[in-house]
Amino acid sequence: MRIAAGLARVVLFAGLSLLFVATAARAEFKPISPFAATEVAPGPPSAFAPPTAAPFQAPGPFGRVFAWVFDKQQSLQRTLAMSVKSLKTDPLGGALTLALLSFIYGVLHAVGPGHGKTIISSYVIANEETVRRGVIISFIAAGLQALSAVLLVGVLLIALGATGLQVNAWSNQLESISYAMIALVGLYLLAGQLRSVWRRWQHAPVTVVAARDAHGLGDHHHHHTHHDHHHHHSREGHEHHESHGRHDHHHSPGDACDHMVDARQLAGPFSWRKVIPVVFSVGIRPCTGAILVLVFALTQGLFWAGVAATFAMALGTAITVAALATLALGSRELALKLGGTNSTWTNMVWSTCAIGGATIILLFGVLMFTASLGPARPF
Amino acid sequence: MTIRHALWGLAPLLELLVAPSPATAHPHVWATVRSDILLDTNHQITGIRHAWTFDEFYTAMAIEGLDTNKDGIYSKEELQPLAKVNVESLKDFDYFTFVYSEDEGDKMLPLKPPIDYWIDYDKSVLTLHFTLPLEKPVDTHGKPVQVDVYDPSFFVAFSFATEKPVTLAGADTKGCAAEIILPDPNTTADYKALTESFFSQLGPNSNFGSQFAQTATIKCKDSHL
Repeated sequence: MRIAAGLARVVLFAGLSLLFVATAARAEFKPISPFAATEVAPGPPSAFAPPTAAPFQAPGPFGRVFAWVFDKQQSLQRTLAMSVKSLKTDPLGGALTLALLSFIYGVLHAVGPGHGKTIISSYVIANEETVRRGVIISFIAAGLQALSAVLLVGVLLIALGATGLQVNAWSNQLESISYAMIALVGLYLLAGQLRSVWRRWQHAPVTVVAARDAHGLGDHHHHHTHHDHHHHHSREGHEHHESHGRHDHHHSPGDACDHMVDARQLAGPFSWRKVIPVVFSVGIRPCTGAILVLVFALTQGLFWAGVAATFAMALGTAITVAALATLALGSRELALKLGGTNSTWTNMVWSTCAIGGATIILLFGVLMFTASLGPARPF
Repeated sequence: MTIRHALWGLAPLLELLVAPSPATAHPHVWATVRSDILLDTNHQITGIRHAWTFDEFYTAMAIEGLDTNKDGIYSKEELQPLAKVNVESLKDFDYFTFVYSEDEGDKMLPLKPPIDYWIDYDKSVLTLHFTLPLEKPVDTHGKPVQVDVYDPSFFVAFSFATEKPVTLAGADTKGCAAEIILPDPNTTADYKALTESFFSQLGPNSNFGSQFAQTATIKCKDSHL
């Protein structure tokens, strides 16, 4: 239910934002553009026709699918280029097409690496995040990626008069930094989870008794401690509840769902301190697709159209990433439900998600960081 | 709740685990390839003269800021630094050009650094021209010589042009022919590229692009010897 409601809200928000972006793009090209000078001077039609390329093909049924996808991606990108150009002659139609195409491009593009879907999904399942927060995190990260691209292109090309090659180099640097930060976030999360597991393993009975004696209700205890060390306390907190269940002090049998509800409640208020490193590490890396559209729009003297397109694209990216994060959370919930009243199972699911999620973030960050240090690409 | 439900529930998680794998590598740059195969008087291939035409988005990115005299024209001279950067960094990627000869035991033939490189810009797209000499000329008699042009990581999607993808050039081209072979969707895939481990797909050693590799095959019939 919550998931459905969350998704409905996302879709509504997406629709509204799309409308906004379209309007923004449309409003944008009447004023005199300060970048008009960069426009390529119109000349006589060229005798040179770009060569057409042979279609993508790959062996096997999977190859057929991939080839089809890449063929569509290419035509989408071509249409995007055309719609930017058409802004000059057909402002309204061009703007709407551009916003829509950018949005679709964002939705599809996010499936590719580097848009934080692995990181954000792993993060939300490794922590007691809710669907709503998963969605918020996805949107902030995508928004930051868009902002990063706009700032990079704006500052380097417009303010500093740098070259496209320099933009590329900077983009690669930011990518490396982003992956390094992701690895650190993963390490931090993993260290926290392992420490709490270790502590639980060593002092579990003592803690349970102490917590129960001190507060009577575990829930209460968590609300207080949650701000500083969210994971540890809530994870331990969960353990208290398990223990309660086992001793059957407060819970009636078959109350298993309470464990999940408790876990959600234990997650407490949205903690920026915890979320900021995650969204920042993902968001600092500008989206390559957005940079391409921005620079292209800039060369057409329509930088602001590029900015609008970038945010439309980010909206699409955010929806894909949010959907994946929601799926991940749904999977965890289902896994929890499967255990029924079995508290060992519930515990196991939480531990697997927590440690597994953090491990994926760490490994992914390390691998991508190492890969990003490879030789500079020629194109 | 049954096991089946459990599997359905966990499917998205599994999907996430393999998410950065081949299915998600995708091109950002498109290049259309036209190549001249340089033959000497003995029908030996001495090198390959490439002309790679890039898409509009990449072009805009690459040339931005290079109109140094601000006359609105991107001249060959102004674009020469770009050409230099391009060909120099191509070395780390084997020039995206892989030459094989069955006669040589199907091993990749070494190439020398590019010579005669320049960039053409025409209205919206740029074309990078460069010549890649083979370290040792390769014989075309008997077994055909294959030239694959592709980016293993599939960041750049290379395709041969539909018209004149490969031209034979040089001292003597009589009796020689070249053809383009596209991967056949009806054959079984070489799943090596697809099943490569999760980790190697992330790195620069990814080989996902190889399944889209288009091959130019060059063969000469008669012997001049």
